[in-house]
Amino acid sequence: MPMNWPVAVLDRLTAAAHADGGWGYLAGAAPCTEPTCLACLALSAYKTDTETYARGLAWLARLQRPDGSVPVASNVTSPCWTTGLAALAWSASMGETAVNYHAQIEKAAAWLLRTHGKPIAPNPRVYGHDTTLPGWAWVENSHSWVEPTTYAVLALRAAGKEKHPRVRDGVRLILDRAIPNGGWNYGNTRVFANTLRPFPGPTGIALTALGGEPSDSRIDSGIAYLIPELPRVRAPLSLSWGLMGLSARGKRPDESPQWLEECARRVLRSGSNAMYDALLLLADADHCPITHRSLEVATTNG
Amino acid sequence: MDDAVHNSVATAASRKLSRREMLGVGGALLLGGGIATGFRWASGHERGMRAEVFIGKARDYRADFTFIIQEGFAALGIGRGDIQGKRILLKPNLVETAPGQAHINTHPAVIVGAVEALHRLDARAVIVAEGHGHHRDSRLILDESGTGAALEEAGVDFVDLNHDEFVAVPNRGGWTNLAPLYLPKTLLSVDWVISVPKLKTHHWAGVTCSMKNLFGVMPGVVYGWPKNVLHYAGIPESILDINTTVKPSFAIVDAVVGMEGDGPIMGTPKDVGCIVMGRNLPAVDATCVRIMNLNPYGVPYLAQASGRLGPIHESNIAQRGEPIAALRTRFELLDAPHLKSVASG
Repeated sequence: MPMNWPVAVLDRLTAAAHADGGWGYLAGAAPCTEPTCLACLALSAYKTDTETYARGLAWLARLQRPDGSVPVASNVTSPCWTTGLAALAWSASMGETAVNYHAQIEKAAAWLLRTHGKPIAPNPRVYGHDTTLPGWAWVENSHSWVEPTTYAVLALRAAGKEKHPRVRDGVRLILDRAIPNGGWNYGNTRVFANTLRPFPGPTGIALTALGGEPSDSRIDSGIAYLIPELPRVRAPLSLSWGLMGLSARGKRPDESPQWLEECARRVLRSGSNAMYDALLLLADADHCPITHRSLEVATTNG
Repeated sequence: MDDAVHNSVATAASRKLSRREMLGVGGALLLGGGIATGFRWASGHERGMRAEVFIGKARDYRADFTFIIQEGFAALGIGRGDIQGKRILLKPNLVETAPGQAHINTHPAVIVGAVEALHRLDARAVIVAEGHGHHRDSRLILDESGTGAALEEAGVDFVDLNHDEFVAVPNRGGWTNLAPLYLPKTLLSVDWVISVPKLKTHHWAGVTCSMKNLFGVMPGVVYGWPKNVLHYAGIPESILDINTTVKPSFAIVDAVVGMEGDGPIMGTPKDVGCIVMGRNLPAVDATCVRIMNLNPYGVPYLAQASGRLGPIHESNIAQRGEPIAALRTRFELLDAPHLKSVASG
């Protein structure tokens, strides 16, 4: 029987918020930045509970450090790979809430532009990717990987810095990390003699960042990998990012509502997980704040 | 990552060993011809350290793993008094999945067999937990590996350590400059941590077994995907710090089908046909390396663990169950300079 799963998931997500703002990954857990950003983005797409939404954004702002970075949780000052996600959440709120987060976005963008992953001297015998491209790292002073680079690219685009050379470098890095046979993993294409395997989640994440980019064979190969892969995926993280990635490239499968419902039914049978709940909502949203910017850029680029 | 890994492997033995000790172990092993000297040194260095390791035959994954693990517990003197009332966390090795590549991850039959064996000794609770190193999507790995269905059928909870709450704890090892270490709350809330790895070669560390498997308790939210920070800090040194700090209580190694060549994910299946168990992880791993017909003294993290975290010398390990010789089978390693010492012996 069809169900209005977004309402149930949205209710659960809203109920999982801490009283002073913020979401933990799991119900009852201390708030962390990533689930809070994703929850805020989801609430911005559905515009149902403005107070909870506002408290989430404010919680993120309280976490921002003077240098603009936003650490992964309140009990640490590093790592700060979540800074891009926070900037994205604040950007989605512009014009939607009473508080204007322009200053926070600018500080976060400045921090992102100051930081980069650690390059490695090229060693083609060992690595298939260009180890010198400057993207963004999970943890300061370590190598660049696909997911943190995606968050930085999306955040800087949302902050109006689409043409900044660092954004272009980030896009180049993401394209460079494409697996030769199609798709992405966390960011290694080949190590020693073997080409590594792609995964649906990182492929969707990479395609989301590449949403507004001109056609490229690596993007086409990623889509070609993901299209037959997703019908069997009912894990919320991979399915949601996979669909957002395809949506960002205008390739969303017609069957996606059914897949999302099947996944949501499953998710609702288990304990609350703010990251999963928010991602499902974002993947289903008519106006997803993560992918719509990519589509706008694509339109601008013709 | 590249340079960091090379450097960490090359200098693995140098941080905690004095120059004199290095001349005993590193010098003897790396220069060749002095291997026997190194063995004697290690044996003496481990004076007073003894461990028991059990090897139980399991021809394939249709074996009765509950029975084999119970047999192992009995052979190692572990009874109800050790397990009753305890909360136990099983940490399998669940890295990534691919069709037909069952040799990447700890097999669900081994995990469920261990759960049942622990319940029969009246464990208060047994949970399975992992923080995948390459993948953020634990649900997908559980789905595709068959582990999720097996755990659901057995009524066992799974905890995704990558996204668990984490707390800072002092680095009790001091081999790396990582301080503090951030560990998942779930891990710190249990009485016993049992490492349940897959027996595999590793293209950086040489071998991955019960000690390296504990990389997976480090939360990805803090350490990333891959847990690149640990590579920069030094793989062998990080292994030692994590093991010293976490203090795992036991290991149960899935060595039914292992992986050789370009492990830990791109290698080829290797039939071995056994389960290896023990309280002391260096001793368990050293035994596994001997089963792989490789050199435990050439594995940097084991060479450093020797005499500090446990014994690795054969004379200091009491073998229970099957003898090593009955199962020994040569694991091929990647042809790389930093792995030569692992292969020699």
